Amino acid sequence: MSNSALERPAWSPAARYRHVLWLLTRRDLRVRYSTSALGYFWSILDPLVMAAIYWFVFTQIFNRSVEGEDPYIVFMLLALLPWTWFNGAVSDSTRAFTRGAKLIRSTKIPRTIWVASIVCSKGVEFVASLPVLAVFAIATGAQLQWQSVYFVLAIVVQFILTLGVGMIVAPLVVFFRDLERAVKLVLRFLFYASPIIYGVSAYAKVGPEFHFVAAFNPLSGIFSLYRGAFFPDQLDWFTIAVGIVMSALIFALGLYVFKRSERAVLKEI
Amino acid sequence: MATGAIEVNGAGIRFRRNRRSRRNFKDLFAGRQRRTLASEFWALRDISFTVQPGEAIGVVGRNGQGKSTLLKLVAGVILADEGAVEVHGGVAPLIEITGGFVDDLTVRDNVYLTAGLHGMKKHEIAERFDEIIDFAEIGDFLDTPYKHLSSGMKVRIAFSVVSRLEEPIILVDEVLAVGDKAFKEKCYRRIEELLAGGRTLFFVSHNEKDLRRFCKRGLYLDKGQLVLDASITQVLSKYNKDYGLTP
Repeated sequence: MSNSALERPAWSPAARYRHVLWLLTRRDLRVRYSTSALGYFWSILDPLVMAAIYWFVFTQIFNRSVEGEDPYIVFMLLALLPWTWFNGAVSDSTRAFTRGAKLIRSTKIPRTIWVASIVCSKGVEFVASLPVLAVFAIATGAQLQWQSVYFVLAIVVQFILTLGVGMIVAPLVVFFRDLERAVKLVLRFLFYASPIIYGVSAYAKVGPEFHFVAAFNPLSGIFSLYRGAFFPDQLDWFTIAVGIVMSALIFALGLYVFKRSERAVLKEI
Repeated sequence: MATGAIEVNGAGIRFRRNRRSRRNFKDLFAGRQRRTLASEFWALRDISFTVQPGEAIGVVGRNGQGKSTLLKLVAGVILADEGAVEVHGGVAPLIEITGGFVDDLTVRDNVYLTAGLHGMKKHEIAERFDEIIDFAEIGDFLDTPYKHLSSGMKVRIAFSVVSRLEEPIILVDEVLAVGDKAFKEKCYRRIEELLAGGRTLFFVSHNEKDLRRFCKRGLYLDKGQLVLDASITQVLSKYNKDYGLTP
């Protein structure tokens, strides 16, 4: 058989994966930005409004003044922006399969991409929202420290964690619809149970046992890493180490859940 | 070359009879070896056949006998519970062809997106772009959001993209029932063109005329079993005999 078209150079699986992931991520972002007039503004508006509320409540009404957490607005944004990423990606991944159902039914694409593209597109929005942090840092005169190199590590760990959680949530929601609401509730709980409006050091003040237990929330370690950029005191290496291990474990669990349930999920959608 | 384009070996897949019946974590995570529950049935079982490269094969059977399920197994969008389905080479699936299209993006963006998702590189798409648009007769609507196209245009552009994928294996479900007569004929001519170019065709249809037109070999599915694997004429005559239809 001699047909030039049939001998097209094949993609390596990894290259194909990256290519499709890139296309879907870009698609998500394009759709989000092309359908709303304010576009980019929306992705920063949500954390900004939240930050404004908490800043007002804690610094103006309760007159909070904690040593080493000033300026509070910068302190908060350092955890609130990554939280917006985590929160958005996890709540969107409850709909990962239903959203792409038609494409999943007709095209053979590695299925983990449906979760990965959500995590990536929300991740891009997170990076795009960082100028907000810069603006406030400059306005309040916060000093950038050399520890800001850990920012990159924090992004990597958060990516792994979010992907892991997404891979657990996405297939399970297909079978247990109620889980969609349960996830929302857990996320709201996590918002207060993670060091976002307060610092990691707050745990130690409650008690050493509490500090120990809180470290098993991987978000504690991740936010602690982010905060090192302006507040080196916030780097709590025990919490960070546990957070990294937990993120890796959750990722492994996610991969396992996803692979085991994939067969059943495909029949269902 | 000893290997076929599509090799199916003892493949089977089971579904739940009652979609609303309660689920638990146990059957969600159960592997392939789990025993069949009373609430499940085998949609396909013990299916084995090999399709050689360049062959055109049609699948015949009544509704609900597993034709589309078999096509999906070959497309790799569902996974077999037993046996193996191997496909050697890229696949252009003409199944739910409009699936990859996004309402809010323009026709141009959609063409690049869908072709890209099926594994085409950007420059390859650019080379074929005009061809794709010409075939779909949609030149004036390049920058129109996809959702504003008529349903006929949607199918036309989708078919046009997927049929230009240059993959060695083409899977066709009964998608072509849509669209006007003239375009349908155009699609069929395109499929013939692809066949002449040495592609492998896996075709599912109820339409006897279409089956005879494209296929040389037929698979007859009944009650989830492969009853007959022979020439398309033999397969169709057995099918007609079984179900009391005279050709």
